[in-house]
Amino acid sequence: MPKMDAAQKEARIDSLQGELTQLIEAVRTEADEKKKRRMITKIGSLHRQIDKIRANRILSRETKRDLVAYSFIAPNFIGFCVFTLIPIVFAFCLAFLQWDGSNPIEWVGIKNFTRLTDDIFFQAALKNTIIYCVGTVPLTMIASLALAIVLNQKVKGRGIFRTLAFFPYVASLVAITSVWKMLFHPSKGPINNVLYNVFGVAQENLPQWFTGGLVLLSMILFSVWKYMGYYMVIYLAGLQGISSELYEAASLDGAGTWAKFRYVTWPQLSSTTFFVVVMLTINCFKVYDIAVMLAGGGSGELTTSSTVLVYYIYQKAFIDWDLGYSSAVAMVLFLMVLVVTIIQFRGQAKKERA
Amino acid sequence: MKKKLLSVVLAAAMMSTLLTGCGNDTSNGSSADAPAGGQQSSETTGGQTSAEEVTLKWAIWDQETTQYWGDIKNAYEASHPGVTVEMVDLGSTDYMTVLATELSGSGTDFDVVTIKDVPGYATLVQKNAILALDDYIAADGVDLSQYAGATDQVTVDGKLYELPFRNDFWVIFYNKDLFDAKGVAYPTNDMTFAEYDALARQMTDTTFGSQVYGAHYHTWRSAVQLFGVLDGEHTILDGEYSFFKPYYEMVLNQEADGVARKYSDLKTEGLHYSAAFSGGDVAMLNMGSWFIATMISNLNSGEYDSSLCGNWGIVKYPHAEGVEAGSTLGTITGLAVTTATDTPDAAWDFVKWVSGSEGAAVMASSGNFPAIMTDEVKDMIAGLDGFPTDAESKEALTVSNLYLEVPYAPNVSEINSVLDSYHGSIMTGEISIDEGIEKMNSEVQKILNQ
Repeated sequence: MPKMDAAQKEARIDSLQGELTQLIEAVRTEADEKKKRRMITKIGSLHRQIDKIRANRILSRETKRDLVAYSFIAPNFIGFCVFTLIPIVFAFCLAFLQWDGSNPIEWVGIKNFTRLTDDIFFQAALKNTIIYCVGTVPLTMIASLALAIVLNQKVKGRGIFRTLAFFPYVASLVAITSVWKMLFHPSKGPINNVLYNVFGVAQENLPQWFTGGLVLLSMILFSVWKYMGYYMVIYLAGLQGISSELYEAASLDGAGTWAKFRYVTWPQLSSTTFFVVVMLTINCFKVYDIAVMLAGGGSGELTTSSTVLVYYIYQKAFIDWDLGYSSAVAMVLFLMVLVVTIIQFRGQAKKERA
Repeated sequence: MKKKLLSVVLAAAMMSTLLTGCGNDTSNGSSADAPAGGQQSSETTGGQTSAEEVTLKWAIWDQETTQYWGDIKNAYEASHPGVTVEMVDLGSTDYMTVLATELSGSGTDFDVVTIKDVPGYATLVQKNAILALDDYIAADGVDLSQYAGATDQVTVDGKLYELPFRNDFWVIFYNKDLFDAKGVAYPTNDMTFAEYDALARQMTDTTFGSQVYGAHYHTWRSAVQLFGVLDGEHTILDGEYSFFKPYYEMVLNQEADGVARKYSDLKTEGLHYSAAFSGGDVAMLNMGSWFIATMISNLNSGEYDSSLCGNWGIVKYPHAEGVEAGSTLGTITGLAVTTATDTPDAAWDFVKWVSGSEGAAVMASSGNFPAIMTDEVKDMIAGLDGFPTDAESKEALTVSNLYLEVPYAPNVSEINSVLDSYHGSIMTGEISIDEGIEKMNSEVQKILNQ
């Protein structure tokens, strides 16, 4: 602010005071909500300006306070900006470019997206990811809810059971996929041996768990078993938040167990369920490690029956060095997850308003 | 007092984990980070001064398990005082992917890189990450004919970007003890595929608990598909793959009859071919000559049980009717100079030395096959302690026609991915052989037409 001598200052303060008095009068008679809010804000800023001039400060107190606050956030925000925000924005731009990591970038517009429609591997990856998602989300939710309800009651040793259910989530993925592969080995594993000896399934018809149509089923089963412990804990927290008065009231009205679940437990858990389903959906679309560990063999390559979107993105980016195309696939994945999440948010908002 | 003590202890624990974290990071980064401090200064001086103190950073894999890297480094440093070779082990799984990522963009300080396979080579050439060596070759008068045509198959638009220093070819390894026990004659150096199949079936014993597998096919597609390129009339770049069919049929029939382990079993277990053969229940294994050095050293060290696989031999690859015996697949490992290096002349000198006759001698001394295969080298390898002593095995080292597993083409990396993917689907039985070949044809045609 340019330095003003005393006379100019006085003049300025007078004019601002005049404006202020006018506004205060107008606010009293103003009816429209929005306009009133805007005038009140203006009054506040006029006060600040007058203070500034009177006290000879360059920055008003409020601005100083804001700056201090920003400086506290700055370290984290700068890191976030440089390492997360800017790469994400660049990834969006990359979907319209063609680049192999070393040569100059070229603009190709939507050519990457039109290539997608003709790409067998992309369609296989998309199909597999969607099937996996549709299979895993409901199963995991039901399994974890059932476990939570059972282990919320005073069952003997329920602490041990809760730990056992949670354990797969904590265990190392590489270790448990190795054991899983041993259990389900097509010719030497105990599961197929039981099928062969006890159930009399012919040797040619023994299920090949990690190839062909069954590989997605194996992935779904594995995923449900691994993650149900985690969501069970979330549901337990939700269940413990339901007040027992509601259950008492329900029994007084003659509700049986199923009715209690349907009319008390399930509605009370709606926000927990919402959270669980959103998390599950996002994590299912991101699946990669389970697919590679279970179906990738020694080399970590996936065939069309087990390839998933994130693996295809990696393959296109770092094996074929087609970074633009890979970003286009990533954008498709982003849009899918976004749509699903928006639908769920809308549904939840509607429920809360009702 | 207690609270204060606890907080001090926790703070100390946090600091110590922070510092060990830092320490572990740098040591996991590269194998030569212990002299990181000293190396920094020598690198900067190497860039500025002339021929006095030069450090060459060399990308390799499997430093601990493969002997020749260290042998080459020691021999070169001994004969070239003032040059230090610093090896960085990038691991053999995904080696070329890691290398391509490292050489992307700018800021890498690698001078010499080892090229493990041709698709990765094609990628590096397209990314302008490695130098064309033709000027150097002409200036120093390097004779490319000593590589028996291998360099022609990796020339890009008339320019050569790598010099081969290792040249491996595929042979059949067989377990003599198993053949003796069954009273069957050993495989010969001149077998047709029909004879090979019949021999494998003869050797098979499917009794549960004491199985003998007549053959073993590793999960790589080269173990099955590349039987088809041996007549020299087809390559994997054709776009038309019906020539794979008879070999897929042979292998899948063998798997169905218990002659070889099933592909889906191998993929689930991740069983390595070396474990299969050294376990002593595989009669014949088709694999590359690099396995010879592994067999020799592991039998010597006792890692492989010599009662199970100590009595082994090699014979030439089987061939189709009318194809010359000794036609086999080959793969070259080469050295290239990065475009980002600040000592290209010193790097070129190293590449030239390793790919030349001195490097060849060092490779042969540990049982590896250098790119320059002369009779002296063959005698040296055949004379190594542990190499099978029968004449057939020595004869198997003579190659009549060498076809590269993956010849160069600009989009060979994508073609490779497609063929790998459908190979997996065919071998697990997800799709029939005809369907698989059809898909390969259409997908590769798409790539070739791009």
